[in-house]
Amino acid sequence: MATTKYTKMAYASADEMVFGEAKKPISYGLGIKVGQGLVIPEINFAPRPGSEKSPESLTKEYVDYIATDIMNRAVTLGFPAVQLENEWIFQMSNEPEKFAKPVVAGQKAVIEKFHDQYGIACAVRHTCADSRLHENGMRYGQDKTHNYPEKMMESFEVAAEAGADVISIESVGGKEISDFAVVRQDIRGWLFGIGYLGSIDMEWLWTQIVDLAKRKNVIAGGDTNCAGANTAMFMAGGYLDKDVPKTFSAVTRAIASARSLVAFECGATGPDKDCGYEGPILKAISGNPICQEGKGAQDAHADLMGNLIAATCDMWSNESVEYHPEFGGSSVQCWLGVIGYEAALMNAAKQMKQDKVLRDIYVASDRFRGAEPYILAYDNAYKIGQAIIEAGDSYYLRAKAAGLKAAELIRDSNNKGKLKLNKQEKDTLNKIITDLNSLPDEEGKFVDWALKEYKDVPAFNPKNYEL
Amino acid sequence: MSLDFDAVNADKILIRYDIVVESSEKPEDIAKQYLPENQFLRQIAQDVMNLKSKDIEKHVSEALETLSAEEIIEKGLLAGMDIVAELYGRGIYYLPHVMVASDAMTRGTKVAEAALSGERKYKGVVMMHAAEGDPHDIGKNIAAVLLKSNGFNVVDLGKDILVDTVVDEVQKQKPDVLTGTALMTTTMSAFSRISSRLKEVGVELPFICAGGAVNREYVESYDMGIYSAKAAEGPGLANKAIEGWDWKKIRSNWDDIINGKA
Repeated sequence: MATTKYTKMAYASADEMVFGEAKKPISYGLGIKVGQGLVIPEINFAPRPGSEKSPESLTKEYVDYIATDIMNRAVTLGFPAVQLENEWIFQMSNEPEKFAKPVVAGQKAVIEKFHDQYGIACAVRHTCADSRLHENGMRYGQDKTHNYPEKMMESFEVAAEAGADVISIESVGGKEISDFAVVRQDIRGWLFGIGYLGSIDMEWLWTQIVDLAKRKNVIAGGDTNCAGANTAMFMAGGYLDKDVPKTFSAVTRAIASARSLVAFECGATGPDKDCGYEGPILKAISGNPICQEGKGAQDAHADLMGNLIAATCDMWSNESVEYHPEFGGSSVQCWLGVIGYEAALMNAAKQMKQDKVLRDIYVASDRFRGAEPYILAYDNAYKIGQAIIEAGDSYYLRAKAAGLKAAELIRDSNNKGKLKLNKQEKDTLNKIITDLNSLPDEEGKFVDWALKEYKDVPAFNPKNYEL
Repeated sequence: MSLDFDAVNADKILIRYDIVVESSEKPEDIAKQYLPENQFLRQIAQDVMNLKSKDIEKHVSEALETLSAEEIIEKGLLAGMDIVAELYGRGIYYLPHVMVASDAMTRGTKVAEAALSGERKYKGVVMMHAAEGDPHDIGKNIAAVLLKSNGFNVVDLGKDILVDTVVDEVQKQKPDVLTGTALMTTTMSAFSRISSRLKEVGVELPFICAGGAVNREYVESYDMGIYSAKAAEGPGLANKAIEGWDWKKIRSNWDDIINGKA
């Protein structure tokens, strides 16, 4: 499989990075230009329960209500550009021709109508679901019960042919191990699951997605580690949560960045998806545009970096909102207003040549709110990116280097009295540094050890990764 | 770098409330009042509480020379998990402590169970599944550990389980409680279909439903549905079923159960 590993950073310095500009800008859809001086809102949504009963009811929900509402509000508020993101529900992935095709085609017809009438730049991203079950098999021919691996690739075919502008996924390679490790605070297991197995699965998957995207003339967006690092971040939660220490989730994020980078190494061009909080690290290395979510995604979840994560974004998202009425219109209209106005603020700052000032205000707001925002501040994200490319081609070594660098950055700031940590966070951080430093310097030795250590984890089958 | 971020006074922007209220209590001090007096049981409970899997099998074997397997499970292993739950509730332990302690308890339990004269007597049976079309099961797995640690027999059907399979298994195995988890709104709709199908075949039981997109309003829109916001609420709700409360009584007293008032 042909992948090109990065050997140098896309940006000469961290300070070069700013929202709305990417070293590798892209253009697609109906006039969409990403990373070319304009931050674009990307609105994501979920249908109401029950609308999935038939293809007709689902299409009505997604096309006549959701897509039409969004475009109406975008024009009403004068937004120059908007992107829709449709994260596929199970029924669409399970029967793509029947449930997904009319939705994809219908949404495209709606945005074309508004583009023709008003000239608004627009596009639709389709994020196909990864329904693969580790216990049943992740590769073709293994899952005799559901054929999920085959259905996943069929989903991309259907999406691309029916009118998708961008295709993406939140793939689940290595999740069986990371789920086991995250609830045991086992960073070595997490490294094996996402840093190593996840990267192997990404390479298998993304060489195919990129090939398909080229054949069908659509954009291969990218792949976030929602299944791993977002699970850790969500469980770590805020100051009242006690499920996972936030130093642990911060280090998982850094490890995940080495894994999510594989999509770009396979030829994906971005924009990476909104829920990839590892985006600033990916952008620093690759120069590809990224979508992020923060304060405008409170409809979906709370995080500790509502402002900070906007610092280097090229698109700005709400994560996802269920379609329902609000006082100000439908939910998708209200949340489009939230993210669209934030994008307008960033774009105004850019016009006034104050974009780096606003970027730094975003960062200052949340830099010390927690360990994860701290390592995702663009200057620290850049350092983690450097650690990844300096570690070479080994998926294991570069993921380990990313995790260690993040842990050291957190420790150093805490030692200086800047980034505060509670006792559990400190204890966990010390254990992480000890555990990662105890691992071998050779990938082969690590894999041999890990295959024995985690052989009894439910649903783990090395054959899923050709091991 | 255009700005020295270390010059920013974060205390004027945010307050680390977790640090403000951080407990200075030590686990061993809290445990003192809960630990069993018998030296063998005390050692086993401490192994669980201190997350020590290494010697727990040996300690259980030693205890079996003078104590019954039932006593070791109830007053040693589960007593240790009670302390862990107390520490977790006070915010001194985090979830991973609970999971690793549970791993230790499970190892010890296997040794004790092998010495049982008959079948182990559980508090009750909880059947669990993640909804049809839903591959997300980390919440279910956490809840399963908490229920097992509370003395329940957990029958885990797995993830992406067909409605028909759930209904068939409930009829066959007759659990005291059924649970379902779902991350997405469009997969949680399986719960109402399960409820309808169970009614058709004349089965009624508390059906605890939870997960990312699941909400109380939806769960209470169909018969048998009992909402749970967190995995830690599972044992408290299941205990009420064992006490003989039907789903209607559990639902109508839900707030009091969750707040520890019922």
